[in-house]
Amino acid sequence: MKTIEDIECLFPCNLAEALAIQADERTRGKPIAGGTDLMVQWASGVLPISERSVSLAAVAELKGILEAENEVVIGAAVTHAELRRSSLIQHHFPSLAAAAATVGGLQIQARGTIAGNVANASPAGDLVPSLLISEGVVVVVSASGERTVPLDRFYLAYRKVALMPDELIARFILPKPKPGHREVFRKLGTRAAQAISKVVGSCRGRVEDGVIKYCRVALGSVAPVPVRLMEFESWIAGRKVDPTMLDEAEKVVSSLIKPIDDIRSTAEYRKWVSGRLVRSMLEEMVVN
Amino acid sequence: MYIQSILKQVLIIFLSLKAANQALKRSRASPYDKGSRSIRATLGYFLHTLNLRLRLREIMPDTKTNPAGVVGKGVARLDAEDKVRGRSGYVDDLEIPGCWIGHLVRSLVPHGRLRGLKRDPYFDWSRVVVATPKDIPGINVVVMHDRSMPLLAFDEVRYLGEPLALVAAPTARLASEAAASITPEIDALTPILTLNELVSLFKSEDPRLFRLSSQTIVKGDVEKGLSEADHVVEGEYTAGHQEQLYLEPQGMVALPEANGGVFIQGSLQCPYYVVQELHEALNLPPGKIRVKQAAVGGAFGGKEDFPTLLGGYCALLALKSGRPVKIVFDRNQDIRYTTKRHPAWVRHRTGLKKDGTITAMRVDYLLDGGAYLTLSDVVMYRGMLHAAMGYRCENIFVNGLVARTNTFPSGAFRGFGAPQAIWGLESHIDKLAQACGMEPHEFRLKNGLRLGDTTPTGQVLEEMGAVRVLDEALKKSGFDGKIRRCSHGRRGEKKWYGIGVSFFAHGSGFTGDGESRIGTKAALDLDFGLDAKPLVSVRVSSTEIGQGSATALSQIAADELSVGIESVGCPYPDTALVPNSGPTVASRTTMIVGATVHGAAVKMKKALEEYASDTFFKGQSAVLKGGFFRCGSKTFSFQEVAGDYLKQEGPLHIVHQFTLPPTIKWDQKTFRGDAYPGYSWGCNVAEVEVDPVTLEIHLKRVTSCYDIGRVINPLLAKGQIEGGLTQAAGYALMEKIGIKGGRFDADRLQTYIIPTALDIPEYEIHFIEFPYEHAAPGAKGVGEIPMDGLAPATANAVYQATGLRMTDLPITPEKLYERLNEKR
Amino acid sequence: MRNVKRTWNVNGERRTAEFPPMRRLLDVLRNDLGLKGSKEGCGEGECGACTIILNGDPVVSCLIPAGQIADGSEIITVEGLEKTDSGRILQQAYIEKGAVQCGFCIPGMIVSSYSLLSKNSNPSNREIREAHAGNLCRCTGYENIVKAVRRAAEQWPAGKRVTSA
Repeated sequence: MKTIEDIECLFPCNLAEALAIQADERTRGKPIAGGTDLMVQWASGVLPISERSVSLAAVAELKGILEAENEVVIGAAVTHAELRRSSLIQHHFPSLAAAAATVGGLQIQARGTIAGNVANASPAGDLVPSLLISEGVVVVVSASGERTVPLDRFYLAYRKVALMPDELIARFILPKPKPGHREVFRKLGTRAAQAISKVVGSCRGRVEDGVIKYCRVALGSVAPVPVRLMEFESWIAGRKVDPTMLDEAEKVVSSLIKPIDDIRSTAEYRKWVSGRLVRSMLEEMVVN
Repeated sequence: MYIQSILKQVLIIFLSLKAANQALKRSRASPYDKGSRSIRATLGYFLHTLNLRLRLREIMPDTKTNPAGVVGKGVARLDAEDKVRGRSGYVDDLEIPGCWIGHLVRSLVPHGRLRGLKRDPYFDWSRVVVATPKDIPGINVVVMHDRSMPLLAFDEVRYLGEPLALVAAPTARLASEAAASITPEIDALTPILTLNELVSLFKSEDPRLFRLSSQTIVKGDVEKGLSEADHVVEGEYTAGHQEQLYLEPQGMVALPEANGGVFIQGSLQCPYYVVQELHEALNLPPGKIRVKQAAVGGAFGGKEDFPTLLGGYCALLALKSGRPVKIVFDRNQDIRYTTKRHPAWVRHRTGLKKDGTITAMRVDYLLDGGAYLTLSDVVMYRGMLHAAMGYRCENIFVNGLVARTNTFPSGAFRGFGAPQAIWGLESHIDKLAQACGMEPHEFRLKNGLRLGDTTPTGQVLEEMGAVRVLDEALKKSGFDGKIRRCSHGRRGEKKWYGIGVSFFAHGSGFTGDGESRIGTKAALDLDFGLDAKPLVSVRVSSTEIGQGSATALSQIAADELSVGIESVGCPYPDTALVPNSGPTVASRTTMIVGATVHGAAVKMKKALEEYASDTFFKGQSAVLKGGFFRCGSKTFSFQEVAGDYLKQEGPLHIVHQFTLPPTIKWDQKTFRGDAYPGYSWGCNVAEVEVDPVTLEIHLKRVTSCYDIGRVINPLLAKGQIEGGLTQAAGYALMEKIGIKGGRFDADRLQTYIIPTALDIPEYEIHFIEFPYEHAAPGAKGVGEIPMDGLAPATANAVYQATGLRMTDLPITPEKLYERLNEKR
Repeated sequence: MRNVKRTWNVNGERRTAEFPPMRRLLDVLRNDLGLKGSKEGCGEGECGACTIILNGDPVVSCLIPAGQIADGSEIITVEGLEKTDSGRILQQAYIEKGAVQCGFCIPGMIVSSYSLLSKNSNPSNREIREAHAGNLCRCTGYENIVKAVRRAAEQWPAGKRVTSA
């Protein structure tokens, strides 16, 4: 009967060491950073206990939030607490900062990481919709080098992201939004705090004279993967915001998603409330 | 004396007139009441209050108190310091040398015939100890309210997870491996799994409905009452399971004793239950089963009967292996394999006159008892007794039954059948009010039970608190104004606002003749404490499970002995050292056990006064007051006299037994009479905001008023209310768990959702004290009543907010959406 | 499965333990270091009963492989509170305000309180509730806990800060 304690764990001190461990099939292990999802999945039997694990806790290259001229670079191991506290993130990606504040409680936020939230590949990953609307990329590394994957192509299928077995997420590069853009975040949970979302969503847009000039919308918990509603974005571009349009917008959103029944909510409710949440995000964007 | 009695009568007349005047004012304020009816109602109310038994105590609270005494004060609880320092020993903290870990082999199907248990031949069985039904020294039965439940199943398997065998090993890992190496061979049978199935079987009178217990309550002639009605209003209300979710998962440890017996310790509510329920299986005389509580991290009824089973498994393994054996569940095991609140279906059929008089109440009350009876008959009794309680009606019929499903046996959870009954009743009362064109609070004020009225079982109400708590909560919440501002699902509102009320009693103490049968005993020991000062120890079997009983009972003893709380202690009960005070359940501890402790304290006081007279006052009679023994101008402190007593005579041990006054009469056969020795009363007013965008329901504010008799410790009492209301809020809005594939679906904390610090509303809590006259110092029960009323008050508020009547718990946005869709 | 050795500053004392690297920090604290105060309520980081302060931040120790915690790390558990004036103030406030009932959530809860007040000694009601949202309590309904934290905040010694990573 294997338990977590049976897992052989290595503790590389830098990225090169970590990548070398992952490059070799004999030493390769399940990457663990904060462990706030992984430890739960092992404990609950959702994931079989791995033979080996590689801890990224001491790999300093994965930390840090850096500002470049046109983008912000977020290290893979930046925690939700750090995202939330960062004035850079609050300023350029308020939806991401808001999302980070809703992950678990303070204890989870202190340990859970952005890469963990993404690599976990849950359709309910709270940070993911905010990352998707940023049109950013994830930089993935292995011993053979780096590659860049646009975030909206990173999710392949339920619980599957575009990571090869020897690869690690190194950082996220999010282009700074142009001036005049607003961002809104919504999370619907089973209670006010520490809840896995029933529906989670982010919206970024630019409104001029009551017309939507630009809009990016992403939802989680409504499909096998977090999704950007690209058809909706095309549909709404150039439309004037008024109650009739918003009524229709709700229906368009509902028609684009196929959520499921699960322990937290029903497919019907999710389908309906997704439209409502998007509407409410659009209304908020217009207010300013 | 004569003048006093005249003054009393004048006072009563004056107060009656005052009350009548208030009622008149209130009824005039309502647009629904016609003038002449008001005057008739008012006169009736006046005559009614005049028709009291003329005892002043019933009008004004008894103020006979010791102002310097400790009862009524919010003293800090005795065990708080240990707990904030992290020094309390819960069962998993105990260091027990050589302790092995136990694990259960369980059925993987909900219903079937057990053919055998196959052991993996490649496992090294010499490293572990296995116990099967063959190893049970006595009769394979857990003696509860019937003898149908085995300690280990051996023939028919009745629920998924039912224990079939036990394993103990030096480590948890090995025990778990060994258990996994035993494969039960079961021929599956068709299970019945849900309340919905039971309701269908009930409605179609299908013989496959297996009744674990049933009972009726008959008052008057309900069919006649229905035929006389102007309106007949029906309603069906359901509620699912609820998990107690004490923060500390269940755990027990058993150690074999040199005398061939066993010492069982752990997280439990009822040490003597463990003794009584296991001695036949363990084939040990009760004296050889010693049971002690460890620190208990919450219980709420979930540790009333289940610890007996867990303790039994540990004891069996300990006796077989000759070693201490511990079983502590993880959260997942705890949710899957321990007792839950009974799912319930309540159907009302009520006759009303146009003026709002209730002519008949007919209630069907059906509980899902799970696989075995355990204590479900008493849950059913209590539920039935609360299903039509609180309102004046001459014709009542309650049809109660507990039916069997192939699920884990349902058990006790704060309220014990009453929350489900009151969920149905108080939701239905709002429907009745609407049928008569009355506001919800007016209907309740008109029909609420008052002093001198009779309950469904014919008990004459001796209590003032009833309508008073309703009055008070309505006033404090501003209900009358707010009910007219509710949204009713109007379009264009940013938030839908609603306010709802519920009014309810909770029978304090054991149902029926329970308290007479128990013969509750309490002891007080006077001896030197660790600091060499005289210390009084309260010896009761009541467990401190977080509710503060150790503190409250100590306060009662300290108050009567007029010493400070620091001179009294209440150690964790150990059956080797304490008498049987009955179980820690049924909102009886402060009321009944408290009264017994009080009685013992009275005896101890008398004994010490006599000693003081003889020894310190040369034979002149001394009185203990304010911490001193007094005679004339001479005084000696309690410490001095007690210290002297101990030096000369040794420890002083006093035992007292509780008896109910003979005026309290109950007939179990006809199910009539005084169902409870007394009732606590409560009223909850809930205010909600429903978000039209998402249909999320936010409970914003709860205003409540309770009559729990004499409040022994306001800090503890308020804490009980706040905690209980929070559990009730969870019951109403977020705690959802059901059976899928034979087992509980929300079986971890990620999926079983209870309120966090950000989920709770504002609480406003008031107490009105009408001391209980049959048990000094006059407390009634507070443990369960906070659970009873918030769910229907919330549903009533949601109705006022949205126009949607929700009849199934919990009330969720998904269900609101479904109802909205049906409407369209 | 080779053991690792770690030396940490636990409640102001240097403590060393040797354990399999993936052993949960909660188990190392309770079993290897004998600090039974922190509790296991759920084993999946939801209830907060295992909350401790690690290098200045509140964390749930049941989700941390102890091998990840580097030598020299600062750990504060419930047992450490009584060693400081501020900790004792907090404990006294909990006792006074009736914030304790069964006590099982308290080790994690009071550590979360300590962590909050160490960073923000004048928190709003909302901030108090948020700081404790990851600590479930089934007994109290949270009211008296909030009152206790406010009471402790009133008396919190000035300039007391716990360094955050």
